[in-house]
Amino acid sequence: MKTKPILITGGTRGLGLSICRKLLKSGYEVVAAGRTKSDELSQLIESHHETPSSGSISFERIDLADCASLHSRINEISKKARGLYGLVNNAAIGKDGVLATMHDSEIHDVIRVNIEGSIIATKYAIRSMLLRGEGRVVNIASIIATTGFNGLSVYGASKAALLGFSQSLARELGKANITVNSVLPGYMKTDMTSGLEGEKLKSILRRSPLGRLATTDDVAETVDFLLSHNASSITGAQFKVDAGSTC
Amino acid sequence: MNIRQEIETSYREACKNRNIEVPESLEDDMVLLESGLDSLGFAVLVTDLEMKLGYDPFTLMDEPVYPRTFAELFSVYERFKDRAQK
Ligand SMILES: NC(=O)c1ccc[n+]([C@@H]2O[C@H](COP(=O)([O-])OP(=O)(O)OC[C@H]3O[C@@H](n4cnc5c(N)ncnc54)[C@H](OP(=O)(O)O)[C@@H]3O)[C@@H](O)[C@H]2O)c1
Repeated sequence: MKTKPILITGGTRGLGLSICRKLLKSGYEVVAAGRTKSDELSQLIESHHETPSSGSISFERIDLADCASLHSRINEISKKARGLYGLVNNAAIGKDGVLATMHDSEIHDVIRVNIEGSIIATKYAIRSMLLRGEGRVVNIASIIATTGFNGLSVYGASKAALLGFSQSLARELGKANITVNSVLPGYMKTDMTSGLEGEKLKSILRRSPLGRLATTDDVAETVDFLLSHNASSITGAQFKVDAGSTC
Repeated sequence: MNIRQEIETSYREACKNRNIEVPESLEDDMVLLESGLDSLGFAVLVTDLEMKLGYDPFTLMDEPVYPRTFAELFSVYERFKDRAQK
C-alpha cells in the first residue's frame, strides 16, 4: 500500500497542531510546516518517537510570506515524502483592526500569507498528487468568509478568496482524482483569538445553539474525514464547524 | 541526457495515462492542444519532466510562454537546460 504523506501548513500551533495530532493517530505521514518549530510540536514528535505507532511526524520550515522560496521548499518536502497525498492549507495570519486605519503593510501581509503564499504552495504540492493519480486538498477558511465581523474585513476577504479558489480548483482537479474541500471553523481558542474576551466572546457564545465554541479538535475531526477514503466522493464542498453559531 | 528523448517519452506516457492515441512519430509542427493532451495532461507532463530533468522552465522564465507546437515545447526546455538541479 502506498504511504499517505500529508503536508499541514501552520502545523506548529493552534488548529494546525490539533490536525497533526489527529492525523498522526489516523496513521498518516504527517509533515507539519511553519516558520518555527514550537515546543508543543517538538513534544509531539518526541513522544511519537518514544512510543512509535503507525504513521510518522516531522517538521519542515516554510515561510508563506516568502513566495519565491516556495517552489524549491515544497519540491524538497514532496521529494523527501516520496510524493504528497494531501495538503491542508491551514496557516494564516489574522490582523484585526478597522480598515480605515490599518497599516498598508499589514494589509499586504495578510494577502501575501493567506492568499498568495497558500495558492503558490498549493500549485507545487498538487504536482506530486497529479503524478500519484490521487490526492486531497483541504483549505481552512473561516465563517468570517461568509459572515461579517467588525475589524476583520481584510482577513475576511482573504478567507473568501480561499473559498473561491477551492471551488474552481475542485473543478480543475476532479479529473485527476484529487478532491478539494473547504472547512470553515467558527471561533476557537487559539493564539489567533487570544484578544477575544469579555462581551465579544459572550455574544459569540450566545449565538451558538449548542451554547459553546467549537474546539480545534472538533475541526481536526472534519479534516481527518475529508482526507479519508470515506470522503472520496466529496469535492468542492464547504463544511462549517462552528457549534451552529451562524445557522 | 537527451532532452528531446525525455520529452517524447514523458509525452507518450502522459497521453497513455489519459487514454489518448499518440502518433508514431512526433513531428516538430504537431500542435500540442490538437494532439489530444488537455491542459491537465500538460501539467502532468511538466511535473514528470521536472522530476526527470531537474528543472521546470515554465517556473524559471520571467514572462509566461505557452508553446504551441512540439518544436516550441522542445526549445523551451533547451533554453533552460543549464538551470537543471540534479
Ligand atoms: N482561531 C480561530 O478562531 C479561527 C476561526 C476560523 C478560522 N481559523 C483559521 O484556522 C487556521 C489556524 O488558525 P489558528 O487559530 O490555529 O492560528 P494560530 O494559532 O495563530 O496559528 C497560525 C499558524 O500559522 C502559521 N503561520 C503563520 N504565518 C506563517 C507564515 N508566514 N508561513 C508559514 N506559516 C505561518 C504559524 O506557524 P509559525 O508561527 O511557526 O510560522 C501557526 O502554526 C487559520 O487558517 C485561521 O484563519 C481560525
